[in-house]
Amino acid sequence: MKQQSNWSPYDNNGGTCVAIAGADYCVIAADTRMSTGYSILTRDYSKICQLAEKSVMASSGFQADVRALQKVLAARHLIYQHQHNKQMSCPAMAQLLSNTLYYKRFFPYYAFNVLGGLDNEGKGCVFTYDAVGSYERVGYSSQGSGSTLIMPFLDNQLKSPSPLLLSAQDAVTPLSELEAIDLVKTCFASATERDIYTGDKLEIVVLNADGIRREHMELRKD
Amino acid sequence: IFEYNGSALVAMVGKNCFAIASDRRLGVQLQTIATDFQRIYKIHDKLFIGLAGLATDAQTLYQKLVFRHKLYQLREERDMKPQTFASLVSALLYEKRFGPFFCQPVIAGLGDEDKPFICTMDSIGAKELAKDFVVAGTASESLYGACEAMFKPDMEAEELFETISQALLSSVDRDCLSGWGGHVYVVTPTEVTERILKGRMD
Repeated sequence: MKQQSNWSPYDNNGGTCVAIAGADYCVIAADTRMSTGYSILTRDYSKICQLAEKSVMASSGFQADVRALQKVLAARHLIYQHQHNKQMSCPAMAQLLSNTLYYKRFFPYYAFNVLGGLDNEGKGCVFTYDAVGSYERVGYSSQGSGSTLIMPFLDNQLKSPSPLLLSAQDAVTPLSELEAIDLVKTCFASATERDIYTGDKLEIVVLNADGIRREHMELRKD
Repeated sequence: IFEYNGSALVAMVGKNCFAIASDRRLGVQLQTIATDFQRIYKIHDKLFIGLAGLATDAQTLYQKLVFRHKLYQLREERDMKPQTFASLVSALLYEKRFGPFFCQPVIAGLGDEDKPFICTMDSIGAKELAKDFVVAGTASESLYGACEAMFKPDMEAEELFETISQALLSSVDRDCLSGWGGHVYVVTPTEVTERILKGRMD
């Protein structure tokens, strides 16, 4: 009998990420639980990484691949800064992330990303990706183990920038920054109840004209 | 095999009332073949059962249940209580433990003193009693998220109808195999209201 290898180079560390774009702000949030199988590795792992002044990426999936991806993007951003003497804009970073992911089309980064930030006009933008780099600019998105639970609720609450109703090129939610943060907290509270890989703590990053701000909220630890 | 026909079912408890809702699509994998398929059946005025999963098994199981309930009515001269009915469904499913019905039932009814009762079970009869809501079908994960976020305890019939409809419509919009509108039954001790929802017809 031929021996079949059952070692996989990938593992799923779970977690959920959400991002919502507003008229002049962007909210990016992710839980801080890292798990493997049915065990928890740590309750305090940040899945959010600031790639540029106005670009923040949240990634769920295999955190080793996520870490490697963050390093590659940081290096490429540094080169860009040296060559162009300015920071990368969010749409530019979005394209770079897509290309980086597709570069490994035949041995992908097991990373489900959501990129949030402010575009050149100061409007909020959110880009959502699959594991091999297919991306789209949307008004809001979620990725990760809790995304199937959160997405329909976001569709319901944020009908205006819903990709199901209107082709979202310039779609941003009319909600205020505080309302959007509240919505994100509600989403994670619900997802934590029903998804075993989501919980512990919620890390929220808010990008607006004044800069970047972080908030934390406790979630259920079971 | 649970994803062959596509389905979405949800039941919610309110104040002295309950609501049970389903989508209306019947498909054969990616081809839609009916847009008015009934998944929720009335057993008696205060007991409804919805069957998600493989449509042929759902229909056969429904026929067997109606048969058993009619016999019960003849022998006991009264309607079955929801809790008893749930045990009946569970027993019927477990009889086929090693060759199961590929169905996930959602049972909703008003029990003693018109107290709302809902439960769901897996395809071999493991009951899951819940106090708030139960979901089943291909859209179940989306339904979990939507219901968890929108549910409040002790809603009146009108508000319950709104909540369950919104939860159903937003969840099936994210699932390719369910949709084409919705069928909602809201049951109070005095009346049963059946409503059809128009959603994204895809």
